[in-house]
Amino acid sequence: MARRKKEKEVNITPRITRKELKRQRVLLIWAAVFVVYGFVFCYLPLGGWLMAFQNYKPKTGILHSKYVGFDKFKVLFSDPQFFRVFRNTLAMGTLNLVTTFIMAILFAILLNEIRGNLMKKTVQTISYLPHFLSWIIVTGILHDAMSSSGTINEILLNLHVVDTYIPFFSIEKYFWPIVAFANCWKETGWNAIVYLAAITSIDPSLYEAASIDGGGRWAKIKYITLPSIRPTIMILLLINIGNVINAGFEIQYLLGNPLIIEVSETIDIYVLRWGISQMDWSLGTAAGIFKSLISIVLIFTGNSLAKAFGEERLF
Amino acid sequence: MRLKKITALLLGTALTASMLAGCGNDAPADTSTDAPATDTTVVADAGDDTTETPAAEEKEYSEDEITDFTMFIGMPGSEINDGNEIQEIIAKKTGVRVKETWLTGQTTEEAVGTILASGDLPDFINGGDASKQLYEADVLVPWDEYIEKYPNIKEFFTDAEWDMFRMDDGKIYWANPFTNSYGENRETGHNDEAFWVQCRVLEWAGYPKIETLDEYFDVLEKFYAENPTFEGNPVIPYTILCEDWRYFCLENAPEFLDGYPNDGSVIVDVDNMKIVDYNTTPTAKMYFNKLNEEYNKGMIDKEFATQTYDEYIAKLSTGCVLGMCDQNWDFNYTIQDVFKQQGLDEKGCNYVPLGLTAEKGMENQWHSYGDTLNNSSGLAVTTSCEDPDLAFKFISDLLDQDIHDLRYWGVEGVDYLVDDDGMYYRTPEMRAQAADTAYQASHVCQYSYFLQWLGTSKDGKNAMQPQQQTSEFFAGLAEPLKKTFEAYGAENYPDMIGSKVCELGIWYPMYSYSNAMTTETPGGVAWTKMGETKHKWLPKVVMSSNFDSEWENYMKAYNDCKPEDFLAEMQEELERRAATAK
Repeated sequence: MARRKKEKEVNITPRITRKELKRQRVLLIWAAVFVVYGFVFCYLPLGGWLMAFQNYKPKTGILHSKYVGFDKFKVLFSDPQFFRVFRNTLAMGTLNLVTTFIMAILFAILLNEIRGNLMKKTVQTISYLPHFLSWIIVTGILHDAMSSSGTINEILLNLHVVDTYIPFFSIEKYFWPIVAFANCWKETGWNAIVYLAAITSIDPSLYEAASIDGGGRWAKIKYITLPSIRPTIMILLLINIGNVINAGFEIQYLLGNPLIIEVSETIDIYVLRWGISQMDWSLGTAAGIFKSLISIVLIFTGNSLAKAFGEERLF
Repeated sequence: MRLKKITALLLGTALTASMLAGCGNDAPADTSTDAPATDTTVVADAGDDTTETPAAEEKEYSEDEITDFTMFIGMPGSEINDGNEIQEIIAKKTGVRVKETWLTGQTTEEAVGTILASGDLPDFINGGDASKQLYEADVLVPWDEYIEKYPNIKEFFTDAEWDMFRMDDGKIYWANPFTNSYGENRETGHNDEAFWVQCRVLEWAGYPKIETLDEYFDVLEKFYAENPTFEGNPVIPYTILCEDWRYFCLENAPEFLDGYPNDGSVIVDVDNMKIVDYNTTPTAKMYFNKLNEEYNKGMIDKEFATQTYDEYIAKLSTGCVLGMCDQNWDFNYTIQDVFKQQGLDEKGCNYVPLGLTAEKGMENQWHSYGDTLNNSSGLAVTTSCEDPDLAFKFISDLLDQDIHDLRYWGVEGVDYLVDDDGMYYRTPEMRAQAADTAYQASHVCQYSYFLQWLGTSKDGKNAMQPQQQTSEFFAGLAEPLKKTFEAYGAENYPDMIGSKVCELGIWYPMYSYSNAMTTETPGGVAWTKMGETKHKWLPKVVMSSNFDSEWENYMKAYNDCKPEDFLAEMQEELERRAATAK
């Protein structure tokens, strides 16, 4: 099967001749535009990575700063804080991935089960609106709602769940769940849109056949809906795995405080703190490079795992 | 009057209703920093004002001739409105208008770092603690040539003082605009740190003599027990601000309690010329132990560790906070205006400073008499300013007496009057107006981060700034404040705190060195790490249920930062500074 496909491809790919080039001139020109775009905006900035191997000073610039080899990486890896930051990033990233991912699928399936179209549309619209709020607003709401006199503490107090209010933002163990919750609240509705679209494209006759065979709602979800959207789930999972390391910047930056900094600081904040605040651009760049490497490793691992299990994959 | 009240009520309700979460106990939303400025009525046409002043015959710049400069200030502040009246008058007289932008939501280092990384520099900048970074990035214009050219700038400091601003390349890149007196010093305020307490607490307690932390908290506790609410809101007996660099409110009291002046980052033991670390003294432990005790008694704001500066100011604005430790400039300018607007000053909410010490009968140096020269930051002109000469001319022009009067006193006839002896004074209405934040935004333009004088005006009679005019100071005092001063036999704030009058060493203040440290040196790294450790641990120590073990953990973490590296560099600097005096 695979071989035949390959042969077919060979057949339709024309040989590169001058005539062929001329014939595809317009296409080539447009392609060149994007290559140049990609080069200028995605690859050229990578030249800045040189900073990680120098003792970069804005005064001397990238050309005249002192070359220090892997010194900055050594500093980075001998800083216990960096490992804490790395752990936080991975932990929050994974937590976010798992919760938002599961919630989105769950939400899409539940939404799909709603009969009334008006109700369905209303719920969907309301649920994805938070996606358009910026983090500064979301964190503001969280801050107010969870403050000593905020809604959540007031409810807990009035229900006599607690005797005195909980200072949510000064207790380390609450921070990761708060971040995961905020992510869920903000993104579930939005992420569910893709799955909903996938679900709508399922052939209704499958459901009819299941009904005739006596399948209930549960059976339909289990045997038709979920298997049908499996390719979508896999692709999105793979894309998101590469993003685990992007656990976030704004939310931790805005919600964190010195008291819980051990669990709240992510790599991005670390880069900001050293690169921008302390003006050690080299160290910041080194941390950034490390982050990119981890991201690449994650994507490749995810992809080859998917390959091994014979699932849909990115490349 | 009635109508005004109703409008205020409606506005208040609307504001409260618009708050999302149930923060019923929070401060009213109209603290000075974010008061809406749009509803002001313009008092006078800018055009008329110039004709009243005697300097009107000078050249007046037309709109086309006015140059617009930008400025970034590494401190939070309130932006003034476009078309601000005094700003326009100054623009017509000097040909320059400066748009000031202030720090918002970031640390100074982040903001300056971002400006440098983007290369998008303003014309003027005050880099605060990140000034050294600006110098290292080579983006500042040296002052030397212009100091000679403009006498107004030259006379701002003595030669020796200017020399203190020289960087290691021998040039001057910035000048600190603050606490510099012309002529006779007229200090009436205590613009330093103190443990503050509301007048009404002292009045209730019968104006006792309060000398130690124990006595201080004792009064707060007793008052709180009898007055758990104020104007319907729960009273917060004591709060501590510890956001970002403002955590000095929590961390540096031990140096003062031991009777030392505000060297900021270390104690200077004058007898032995040795640097002493105030973080590890017995007094430090005693102080944090006391805070811990009070926290567990419920006397300290439960939210202190996570509150932001805005939240802190909002709390103080309600008049519900009985006391705290802070620098006067960090809260009092805002709070005094708010209290005046809300009538809380007449209810005794104003704060007075107390000169507490570790033990009874010790001398204190909370108040630093005379001018303090902080050479670690200040006003700077950047290389992206296209006409540096004009920029320096503007700095100089702002020091002309008539423009300086415009900046701080305002427009004659509108903001102040002149009596037959040539003394400036204000009517109660003018004083109320000056405290109104909306009026400040539309009318007042102090250019406060440009060079400014304190002390006596060049006319030899008036004070450079109204708060230092003796008659203004007394007329502006609310009744409870007057009574408090009287009860303690004080004439002004420095008398109230009763600091020892003494000459400070040439090395003072040492913080001007530590503020400028970068992570280039081991001492700088230690300084950064110490800051981070203290930021994290001190609130924990205060909130802990077992003080002794938490203190030990903190000390362990603290010693891991190698404070000795930092102290060694400070010792070196102390010796260098002491040597320059000889």
